[in-house]
Amino acid sequence: MDVKFINPFIMAAQSVFKTMLGIEATMSKPVIKTSRTTSGEVTGIMGLVGDRKGTITISFRDKGALFVYKTLIGDESASINSDVVDAIGELTNIISGQARKEFEKAGVNLKAAIPMVIVGKEIELNFITTLPIVQLPFNFSVGNGTQEVMYLDFSFE
Amino acid sequence: MKVLVVDDFATMRKIIKNVLKQINIENVLEAENGKHALTVLGGDTVDLIISDWIMPEMTGIEFLKACKSDDNIKKIPFIMVTAEAQKDNIMEAIKSGVDNYIVKPFTPDKLREAIDKAKAKVGK
Repeated sequence: MDVKFINPFIMAAQSVFKTMLGIEATMSKPVIKTSRTTSGEVTGIMGLVGDRKGTITISFRDKGALFVYKTLIGDESASINSDVVDAIGELTNIISGQARKEFEKAGVNLKAAIPMVIVGKEIELNFITTLPIVQLPFNFSVGNGTQEVMYLDFSFE
Repeated sequence: MKVLVVDDFATMRKIIKNVLKQINIENVLEAENGKHALTVLGGDTVDLIISDWIMPEMTGIEFLKACKSDDNIKKIPFIMVTAEAQKDNIMEAIKSGVDNYIVKPFTPDKLREAIDKAKAKVGK
């Protein structure tokens, strides 16, 4: 995988976390996934087409998704509901928009579809490409010393 | 300060409301497109308009043009929100009289700055 396909996603995720959520997200070591399934429990999915094609997913465990909802919207929710799902969809939209801007700087023009969000563990996904899926784990604090992870998975060619 | 937030996505309206709350602006009206916003403006007075770009029924640009050609509302500072810094769109908005624009994602400080500049542009 060309590094120029990874950096826009890293920069987008970290920049959106800082601006929209006001928190730092620290990336740990990227992983090549052996399965083509969702990494967390609430997953935003965005297809990208244009000079290249691929799919990115933004995935949280329940606790992480609820924290993002609270921070982004300012309301609390005890469980994953349609409002939380919509918030993760909008976050996916904003991160992919930021990534597209970073790709543009590298001379790669992309268009995005409307994000979809699915709820559930290890759900099989179609990533458009047949290439391996790269998983970028971003760790962030949700307070009281607790860490959560956002998984940004992508396959791009 | 009373603000009208115009966006077809309810979640985005909530996000903007939350950012406004962080800069101590809590009096917020909402509309889901330009047409709906004009109806709101017909029955209420606001101090600032924050509008999305792409919306059904009446886009942000169409709504901006409608506002700036109406003597009753043209002096209300108007900020456009966009996901992408597309130069052509921004130029069209500037020509149509937009008072400022802000590119997503943005921080509360960036929004505060955009509001201050938009207010200064219309002399408020």
